[in-house]
Amino acid sequence: MNQYRLLCLRLKIAKMSSAMKIKGVAMMVLSWAVPGLGHIAQKKYLRGAVFFVCIAAMAALGLALGGRIYPAQTENPLTILAFFADIGNGLLYVLSRFLPIGVGDMKLATFDFGTAYIAGAGLLNFLIALDAHDIAAGTKS
Amino acid sequence: MILRSHVLSMVLYAAFVSIVLSFLRRDDRKGRLKYGLVMFAVMVGGAVLFGWLMYLFTL
Repeated sequence: MNQYRLLCLRLKIAKMSSAMKIKGVAMMVLSWAVPGLGHIAQKKYLRGAVFFVCIAAMAALGLALGGRIYPAQTENPLTILAFFADIGNGLLYVLSRFLPIGVGDMKLATFDFGTAYIAGAGLLNFLIALDAHDIAAGTKS
Repeated sequence: MILRSHVLSMVLYAAFVSIVLSFLRRDDRKGRLKYGLVMFAVMVGGAVLFGWLMYLFTL
């Protein structure tokens, strides 16, 4: 059964025109940069608005709680995982590299929760970007 | 400082995650509501249960 599903999926991907593939990637990048924008661009207004509000609220709460956005570094291997989660925040991550946001204050009792909020928002945004890609590619409504 | 309560932080976190996942996984309104509520209950209930489980093994 799983092999049949895999075959169906491969056939679907093979049928996709190059224009659809480009659109799918564009929507994915758009959704990654600003959560929900990929859905709004495809006229999924409610879904896009809900995604934007939730992810923006999570990221804003994370920053307000003193959470940290981790840069790419190899000194502490554990932070590599946090970096991959944080990079899902799109433009917020890019901005954090140039502006003093997401520096993190370890003295605060809420530091861990803030960091978890930011990482959670990034991970959820990866799923949202993949969803926007699937809608553009026609594999999901 | 906002959200001093860790329980409130956890509940709010679970609520946001449940909403996003329900919109990702379900397409109809009723399905989203049911899926979201189940996800929320599992996350909050699981965290409380795990918290009590850890309490049993305090040093």
